[in-house]
Amino acid sequence: MRKAFPIILSLAGVMLLLIACGKKQAGSGATGTGAKLVVAVMPKLKGIDYFNAVERGAREAAQELGDIDLTHDGPTEGKVDQQIPFIESWTLQKVDVIAVACNDPDAISPALKRARDKGVHVITYDADANAEKSGREFFVNQATFEDIGRALVDEMASQAGEDAKVAIVSSSPTAPNQNAWIAVMKRYMAEKYPKMQIVTIQYPEEDQGRAFSMTQDILKTYPDVKGVFGLSSVAFPGAADAVRQAGKSGKVAVVGLSTPKSMKEFVKDGTVKTVILWNPVDLGYLTVYVAKAVAEGKLKPGATEFEAGRLGKVKVEGDQVLLGPPMKFTAENIDQYDF
Amino acid sequence: MKVRREVLLLFLLLAEMALMQSLSPLFLTPDNLIEVVRQSAEIGLIALAMTLVIITAGIDLSVGSIVGLSIIMMGMLWEDAGLPLWVAVLLALLTGTLLGGFNGTLITLIGIPPLIVTLATMAGFRGIALGMSQARSIRNFPEGFLHLGQGYAVGIPVQVWILAVAALLFHLALTRTAWGRSVFGIGANEAAARLSGVPVNRVKLQVYMLSGFMSALAAVIYAAHVSVAKPDAGLGFELTAITAVVLGGTAVSGGEGGVLGTLIALLMVGFLRSGLTLARVPSEAQDMMVGLLLILVVAVDRWSRRTGGD
Amino acid sequence: MTSERISPTRFVLWRQYGREMSVGVFLLLLLGYFGTTPGFLQTDNLRDILINAAPLVIAACGMTMVIIAGMIDISAGSALAVCAVVAGLTARSGASLPLVILMPMLAGAVIGAVNGWLVAFVRIPAIIVTLGMMSVLRGGIIWWTRGEWIGNLPPSFSAVGRGEIAGIPLPVWIAFGIVLATALLLARTPLGRHIYAVGGNPVAATRMGIPVRRVLWLVFTLHGMLLGLSALVYASRFSVIQSNAGAGFELLAISAVVVGGVNIFGGQGTVWGSAIAGLLLQVISTGLIFRRVSEYWAPSVQGALVLLAVVADALRTRRARP
Repeated sequence: MRKAFPIILSLAGVMLLLIACGKKQAGSGATGTGAKLVVAVMPKLKGIDYFNAVERGAREAAQELGDIDLTHDGPTEGKVDQQIPFIESWTLQKVDVIAVACNDPDAISPALKRARDKGVHVITYDADANAEKSGREFFVNQATFEDIGRALVDEMASQAGEDAKVAIVSSSPTAPNQNAWIAVMKRYMAEKYPKMQIVTIQYPEEDQGRAFSMTQDILKTYPDVKGVFGLSSVAFPGAADAVRQAGKSGKVAVVGLSTPKSMKEFVKDGTVKTVILWNPVDLGYLTVYVAKAVAEGKLKPGATEFEAGRLGKVKVEGDQVLLGPPMKFTAENIDQYDF
Repeated sequence: MKVRREVLLLFLLLAEMALMQSLSPLFLTPDNLIEVVRQSAEIGLIALAMTLVIITAGIDLSVGSIVGLSIIMMGMLWEDAGLPLWVAVLLALLTGTLLGGFNGTLITLIGIPPLIVTLATMAGFRGIALGMSQARSIRNFPEGFLHLGQGYAVGIPVQVWILAVAALLFHLALTRTAWGRSVFGIGANEAAARLSGVPVNRVKLQVYMLSGFMSALAAVIYAAHVSVAKPDAGLGFELTAITAVVLGGTAVSGGEGGVLGTLIALLMVGFLRSGLTLARVPSEAQDMMVGLLLILVVAVDRWSRRTGGD
Repeated sequence: MTSERISPTRFVLWRQYGREMSVGVFLLLLLGYFGTTPGFLQTDNLRDILINAAPLVIAACGMTMVIIAGMIDISAGSALAVCAVVAGLTARSGASLPLVILMPMLAGAVIGAVNGWLVAFVRIPAIIVTLGMMSVLRGGIIWWTRGEWIGNLPPSFSAVGRGEIAGIPLPVWIAFGIVLATALLLARTPLGRHIYAVGGNPVAATRMGIPVRRVLWLVFTLHGMLLGLSALVYASRFSVIQSNAGAGFELLAISAVVVGGVNIFGGQGTVWGSAIAGLLLQVISTGLIFRRVSEYWAPSVQGALVLLAVVADALRTRRARP
């Protein structure tokens, strides 16, 4: 079809245009030129509220510090094999620091090790890599798995009762963070609230529609369930929506982890009393500060605290920099946050 | 002038590499190029077999799930059943072949179209992988095994050697054997092939079993590459493999195509992503470009055939 | 055939609607099986199943036309995400309800029109066009929204997803209406006949004077429009719209169509089968939770049931062949 040729040419033109735009947007430039420190930050995946907030914090810190050339990029799906090419590329570009939230601790470690071998500093945030195998220098942890799991269970106990039957709506059955939290929750429940019972755990992956219909089905299958845990920023709003639409706001407690922004209306109408999280903006902010400190040799093993801009002093335990205990967002304070 | 598809692709590949190099001088370094090829190796193995499948006018959407199930089989046989790792590997390869055979049987004996069968087995095999493993992951494979996916031989990554050898074998089988000719024949005109005595059902079964085998092989190398066996391994591999095959000139309607085109296309996609990452183009823009590239190249090919050969 | 002399009408009915009937029977069997668990057959549960199935059923109608025409669309899930975001942004900007309903359908129609043009006029095989389009749309939506989710939706937005007329939820009305409209289009209009002809034998269709290219283009455009509607119904049930919605949705829609009896080679099948099969998929999903099937094994059961439906039907049509 001869008509197709000019269209094909324009398609090609569009592609070149996209390249040019994409380059401008990301901020072009060689690496390590001038006095700027090149920091590459990679989320587990792009397109999730939570990591969008982390990016904001990272950019805020870069702005404040003034001498950071920040790149934030990562896969559009939470797959570790899609994270590896980025690490390889940044290693080749000899960036100063790579900060990554790992989709799998072991799978990503060889690539991180190679980066270390080539002289690139490596830190992790949100989800760690295998410390030995990767050689990563520090892990910026939001709060320990213990703290998070306990906070969730304690919150549920105070809302639904210590003998409540509860259900868990997680994300993917292979998600490391969620599974770690669930393990802590089970253990803590057995110790402190032996009468609390988990009736089922469902895995809607990262699909809101499934989280919604699974929660609906749970409420019907187990009519005496008193509480639902929503363990991801996808599962929590989906579960809350389901509880609310089933008319069970206030009767079935919904406790979970998500950004206050997506949970705001549920907190306002009482479906959800508390949203547990940490401040992802602060996490991003801290990560960039740690990155700079590690690159300049100012943060070394053996430190017990670290000063990070507006966050003040944070604790350092071994090779983990701790943001702090989990935060609780309630009707009183949720308006103060815009992430 | 009718442009041969492979020549067009090679030209595009070189043009693309020139473009990438202009965006970032780090692109044409041997370090980078070798890593890109290494990263495409697992999908490449699957794409080789997928080329054959598509030449027969079929399709196999279940390859990613076969990867997941084979990798778990290998992991569980090694960790739970205590079998030596090399035995587990062989059994995993066998598993993949049998799974492919399951697909092939439904397609040939019961006559269900390949798209439907593999759509269903894509879900089914993945589900079995999840159920059997209870979502756990198997780790801590021995160093020797990891060498397969992370090591080098004469400066070239091990899996790239494996890919090269496999590609050569596939190419020879496809172009120089009677079996290869029958694969083309089935795709071009199945009824005519049957009438001229080609054992159509047997060849198709073999093609799908081969697809399963290559998926299992990719699974083993993947496990060595990332040092983990998880039931969600291989998610999305089928689409990347199909993209490489189709971009490489193998027609979806069957009867034509080849392994060389698939390999060039594989490199095209890999280099595109690599170059764009080096140029700091964000990954979502990269996704868009891969999609556009596919449509563009196929469109150009169609145009060149229309104004040329016919 | 001798049996035709004995009971022609019944035999013909089975021949023509055999597939739809078997899917229907399968559905009833499953309902019976799951119904043994308390609470499954209650009105509120059946209602929820219908509501949750509605977006899939609507999308399956469009996909039915696509597959009958001998084509396929694997970009449907990504298109769903785009249309859902369009719906959310339109609502958030304070537009009136008719506009909120129109915009996602328009967006879907545009996507469909582009796909249709590439397939029909540039002559690129549908699987390639939609494979490429899938990446373009997924990347595009993240680029456009910068990954942000659409929240702060006005309460009027949920009017579509949570509203009711005469006690029956709006999504159910819409889904039923679309199924009916599609069935009428396919069975009673010239366009419908053309779609079957093009899918069954495109060469013969051209010789008969059917404007094959235009028909294909129309099919994709209509399908896109229905995806937009499906996105609206889907998104209006939630309080926040995710930009990564619809992952895997195209495969669900294709499964519904295929299990429902539409021949993947084109030219045969009805939308009733797809609608029943769409419902079936939701029943399975809910039923497995009710039956307390291990969450690790549930996906394989779903896959196995789809496979079973497909194999059973293939065997049935084989035996019916003379």
